[in-house]
Amino acid sequence: MTLSLVLQALFAGVTNGIVYALVGMGLSAIFKGSRVINAMQGEFAVIGAMTTVLLLTKAGWPYPAAIAGGALSGALVGAFIEVAFVRFMARKNASEDSFLLLTIGLALTLSASVLFFIGRDGHLLPPLGGEGVLIILDAVIQFHALWLIAIGIGATLALRAFYHRTTIGLSMMAASIDADGAATTGINVGRMRTFTFVRGGLLGALGGILVTPLIGVDYQLGLNLTLKGFAAAVLGGLTNPLGAAVGGLTLGLVESLAIIGISSSYKDVVAFSVLIVIMILMPQGILGRAGRRGG
Amino acid sequence: MNPRILLWLAVGLVVWAVIPFVVPRYIADLLVFTGIYTVAGLGIGLLLGHCGIVNLAQATFYGLGAYASAYCTVMMGLPSVVGFLVGAVISMALAYVIGRPILRLTGYFLALGTLALSAIASALFFEWDWLTGGTLGIGGIPKLDLFGFLLDRPSRYYFFVWIVAFACMAVARNLVDSRTGLMLRAMRDSSTAAAALSIDLQALRTKVFVVCALFGSLAGSLFAHHASFVSTQSFTVDRSISFLLIPVIGGATSIPGIVVGALFVTFLPELLSKLGDIHQILFGLALVAVVVLMPEGLVGAFGKLRARLAKRGGGNG
Repeated sequence: MTLSLVLQALFAGVTNGIVYALVGMGLSAIFKGSRVINAMQGEFAVIGAMTTVLLLTKAGWPYPAAIAGGALSGALVGAFIEVAFVRFMARKNASEDSFLLLTIGLALTLSASVLFFIGRDGHLLPPLGGEGVLIILDAVIQFHALWLIAIGIGATLALRAFYHRTTIGLSMMAASIDADGAATTGINVGRMRTFTFVRGGLLGALGGILVTPLIGVDYQLGLNLTLKGFAAAVLGGLTNPLGAAVGGLTLGLVESLAIIGISSSYKDVVAFSVLIVIMILMPQGILGRAGRRGG
Repeated sequence: MNPRILLWLAVGLVVWAVIPFVVPRYIADLLVFTGIYTVAGLGIGLLLGHCGIVNLAQATFYGLGAYASAYCTVMMGLPSVVGFLVGAVISMALAYVIGRPILRLTGYFLALGTLALSAIASALFFEWDWLTGGTLGIGGIPKLDLFGFLLDRPSRYYFFVWIVAFACMAVARNLVDSRTGLMLRAMRDSSTAAAALSIDLQALRTKVFVVCALFGSLAGSLFAHHASFVSTQSFTVDRSISFLLIPVIGGATSIPGIVVGALFVTFLPELLSKLGDIHQILFGLALVAVVVLMPEGLVGAFGKLRARLAKRGGGNG
């Protein structure tokens, strides 16, 4: 095992980790704000990426505009799902399980819709920053991976600032910590929950758009990303979106170490085993109880 | 048992016995699948309806049963009953070993833990091609032979599958009506109170999980002998999800509800597929509609409707 191989694996791990982190942060944000585990979080990534592909190739939008459009489509679908389904079910005091089943049903519907309207084929997006690569000690890193890492970190920091500095962010936190208390101080708790879904959709779509130049997007990508995002969120303690960022990076690194240590075909086996073991042994996530604060 | 119920039971039995001979072959085939899915769905229904556990790992045990049957009969030339037994033993052992730690989780964590389990199993089925044949699968699994009577047509296999399904329903019913069932209900309604009555919740949940795995494995073996061919595509996470839909759609606490759910997941996609490729979208929407509008499943919604009608009828009369 040479140094360059390890370095290559580390970079791949960080790149994938950021994508898992973005999906996981969305999942965690939705869970924190509404107590719903969103089993269609990965579908937001598919929606965002597919919309970007269509805007770029069919509508001929410039790339940055197409990316913005893709991210926005994720946010809109998030808002739609909250208003159309979650709100209605929450009013009827639906159980935890029904929300899980609802989102599973939506995931099936969306994945089937992509298959029906767009087709079976995978689609790629052009890499950000061109086709160029950076070579450090024989390890090859695409420029796109660097952009992905930078945008991922930027989004995480922006999320933190949003929660701690803005009125809406603080209101959303308050609504999730104590809905009745927040309502008495004049916070529209229902609207905050909609915002939560908007942000979850936005983060998921962003993750999908960023990963597409590397691995492509097809109708089956959603489920896998949902599982990886959930693993990231659980590693980080589930109710802490910033913890999900740490969890995503850990998961990405564990996976790429499994690839060089065992075999690339066991990557998912290792990732999901880690998820199960962490859930059993460290129910608070790898950050422990302290991780529950923050975010 | 009052005579009216007995009459209905007799009519039902006659319809059940006549149906495979009067319907076209592909419907008989779907009815065989309904039986197989009923067996697999029963275990999930027990977990969901009586323990409040969402099990998304049933395709794992379904696959174990199917591969055990395929490997024992095709690769080793053993009689088919050995395949059933090997699958059942391995599934129950695995369910016990995994169930013990994983059932300490609750709610969402457990649901996604079992989903992760299914994802791991489906990756391993794919990788261990020396055992499973990978994507090429194992073909040429013999049809079941019952004392010289070859179950080689859907209309014949139908009876065997449904008798197994009825036996499994009887087991499930007995489990629910037994002391274990009472403990299960106590645990579901208030786990703290149940624990205070010195019920070992962990052991109880593991027991039901093991029963669920046994049913899953049985269904898998039945499937292998029906399809004659097994490959990794049949045991993916998607299959685990569609198994979970059976009790969700039918109603988890009712045993007839499982049959309704199994009919739904076998027949609806088939009926919708006449509309072309859009059928998967419609199936997803149907699922969403059931979850949103009928949280207790079709059987629960039907019961509610009947109760409402009876009340209205009583009010007028």
